[in-house]
Amino acid sequence: MDDICRKIRSEILNVSNKSGHGHIPTSFSIVEMLTAVYQTMRHDPKRPDMPERDLFVLSKGHASLGFYCTLAAHGYFSFEDVYEFGGFDSRFGCHPDRTKVPGVEASTGSLGHGIGIAVGMALAAKIAGTKRKVYTLIGDGESNEGSVWEAVMVAVNTRLDNLTVLYDNNQSQGRCLPIGNPAERFTAFGCDVSEVHGHDLAAIKQALAKPTDRVRILVCNTVKGYGCETLSENVYEWHRRAPKPDELTKLQGELHAGAI
Amino acid sequence: MRAQFKNTVSELAAQDDSIVIVLGDISVYMFKDFWEKHPNRFYNMGICENTLVSVTAGLSSQGFNPFVHTICPFLTDRSLEQIKLDMCYNNFAGNIVTCGATFDYAWDGATHHAYTDLASLRMLPNMEVLHLGSKREVDALIRSQYRSPRPTYYRLSDHPHTIETNTEFGKGTVLKDEGAPLTVMTAGPILTNVMEACRDLPVNLVYFHTLKPIDKALIEQFRDTEILVVHDAYGLYEAISEVPALRMRYHGLPDAFCGWYGTVHDIRKRIGLDPASIRSAVQTRLADRSQAARAR
Repeated sequence: MDDICRKIRSEILNVSNKSGHGHIPTSFSIVEMLTAVYQTMRHDPKRPDMPERDLFVLSKGHASLGFYCTLAAHGYFSFEDVYEFGGFDSRFGCHPDRTKVPGVEASTGSLGHGIGIAVGMALAAKIAGTKRKVYTLIGDGESNEGSVWEAVMVAVNTRLDNLTVLYDNNQSQGRCLPIGNPAERFTAFGCDVSEVHGHDLAAIKQALAKPTDRVRILVCNTVKGYGCETLSENVYEWHRRAPKPDELTKLQGELHAGAI
Repeated sequence: MRAQFKNTVSELAAQDDSIVIVLGDISVYMFKDFWEKHPNRFYNMGICENTLVSVTAGLSSQGFNPFVHTICPFLTDRSLEQIKLDMCYNNFAGNIVTCGATFDYAWDGATHHAYTDLASLRMLPNMEVLHLGSKREVDALIRSQYRSPRPTYYRLSDHPHTIETNTEFGKGTVLKDEGAPLTVMTAGPILTNVMEACRDLPVNLVYFHTLKPIDKALIEQFRDTEILVVHDAYGLYEAISEVPALRMRYHGLPDAFCGWYGTVHDIRKRIGLDPASIRSAVQTRLADRSQAARAR
């Protein structure tokens, strides 16, 4: 695991412990995806509204804790700022609000919305004739929503080669409505699909760097709770739960085991 | 009104590169000229109302002034959450323009009727809600509001009225002020029938095209009268109710799906919104008032 990704996961645990909130396994699932995007796209944490910046939309908004810690790791604010996560007056809600948090481009939470907004952003960049790229991260559970597939059809039909959709394939919907083989489905919809190991930062960055003339889909094969055995083996128990102090010590130990 | 919408937007777009049209496979031929003149600002995006609204929000987020347009219930009922979250909650503006007001598609049945759009959208924070009644109102209010920082809803109909009204955003119009103890309040195209019904009756008549924000100052002027709201949709009665402690009644839609076909006139007649029925409802209120006064 890359140091920055371990640091982000460590802070996700700290924030959850201090705040009593957080979807930890789903946040752990996307750390490498988020890091790859923020190490690839044009952005400036000191100027979050930089006009020529690329845009990222977290469509699966319930993974906000992973998002905030990734933004903190890239200099948008400090990790300590995020410790107020979920508090009454906090900027950092359990779903992100673009009017409160620098670096958040769209407020999300209800599933199946962010990708459509991202399609509109990418279309805007095309109409304006800019080189802006738009990235969005969707969940496999979220992809039960029909609006996800509407948005993909529209993106393909409007030839948005500036749009990249990262698909968090952490098998969260095996219990109800599995997507099956998402790469096949997105290919059938006309997208340029790459399938990568979702916890291999270099592989994701390499896939993002590959030129394309179509809507790009990165099916990232991930593990919920990746990095801590206790989380990855007890996903349902830890779906929405904050670690107590003794559990935090244990999870931090698992996360850092073999790190040196 | 749809043609006026197209004409006004086309005129504006000739001077303003920020205008983008997003259609749900409706009014496409009508916008042919626009398509030819501005091919990169015209998108017949598909029959996918949820995504139409989300894309509109995304366009707005990047500084464009988009117009999303399709049939009323499909855009406003089906995509209510996209309007609520992607536009209102995100504070992304944009223009939502619908056709097929109330019973415009009478012959298509209740799936195509629009009862709740004005009431639903009026309750959303940040929203501006317009029940436009005439071509003049379409032209004036699109021009004044299309760059609004808030999302704006424009409800169009195929049966506009031709009555002169104040076209200023947020303002109502007093069409009759007889100092009468009964005031009829209405909105949108049904004004044609209301005007005919009330023309020679001793009542005041007040009209609104803007349901949110409602013209509270104007309503206050009639506070001391009984108010009869005549409207072929939900939303106006609730908007007027923002002014507290009024004496109000509603004459309009029944709490039922209007499961007939025919024309808008057929259905209006069946549910009491043709001129004769409205007149009768107003006369009943006048008679009730007289009876109550005599009893006192």
